[in-house]
Amino acid sequence: MEQELSLTSEIKENCLLIRTSGYVNNSGGEKIASEFSKHFENGIKKVVLNFEKSKVVNSIGISFLIEIIEKLNDVQGKLMFSHLDPAVEKTLTIMGLFNFAGLAQTEEEALKSLKD
Amino acid sequence: MEEYVKLKMSLPQIPDIELVAVEGLERLSKHLGISEDKIGDARILVTEAVINALEHSGQKRPRVRVEFTMTKEKLTIFVRDYGKGFKPEEIEDPNIVEKLGSDNKRGWGLKLMKSMSDDFLIESNNNGTRITITKNLI
Repeated sequence: MEQELSLTSEIKENCLLIRTSGYVNNSGGEKIASEFSKHFENGIKKVVLNFEKSKVVNSIGISFLIEIIEKLNDVQGKLMFSHLDPAVEKTLTIMGLFNFAGLAQTEEEALKSLKD
Repeated sequence: MEEYVKLKMSLPQIPDIELVAVEGLERLSKHLGISEDKIGDARILVTEAVINALEHSGQKRPRVRVEFTMTKEKLTIFVRDYGKGFKPEEIEDPNIVEKLGSDNKRGWGLKLMKSMSDDFLIESNNNGTRITITKNLI
């Protein structure tokens, strides 16, 4: 069964890289948003979310990511997703997130896209 | 006759209870030899249907009935709550542009279920709401 969300983060090439593992539900989305906020307050404007180990999401969890996009839009920042499960990608597509966030196969691709 | 498996459960409102339904779905698909990648959309559909029912039933101690009927080709998901019901035709599709800048960023469940399913039926009255979702697995 999908586990409670845990995450790790690091700063790479001035981008925040967050890797999640587990269910992106209400509390999972909140954890991601809180991790983002810590770095956003320190001036980070580029973010990569690696969902390789998050195969189940729900729309409440994803609504926290809309908050992240909103904050990044205000400072001309950008969010990139990587390693999405096809069903998760479909979910984000239906919700329209890729109108405001990017999609890459790998972290490296995402980081390259944020540098360009 | 084509082999099918059926699973029925009654779920109370406790945190992440929707994962019990997802686990049940995964067990059924494994039994039928359906690969993991074919039930990705179904996982999301089940999750949204259960959360939606528990959250919007309006009951003090909500409980939802969930039934899966699965063959190698098709999954039917039935979710029923016993709440106050609502008028589905009055629910507007959410829009990301409107959600950005709004305090309420939620409300995507129905849109996701309608968009990801192959067939979607919602019936609601003051005795509760019933959702029937069909998802093709081939």
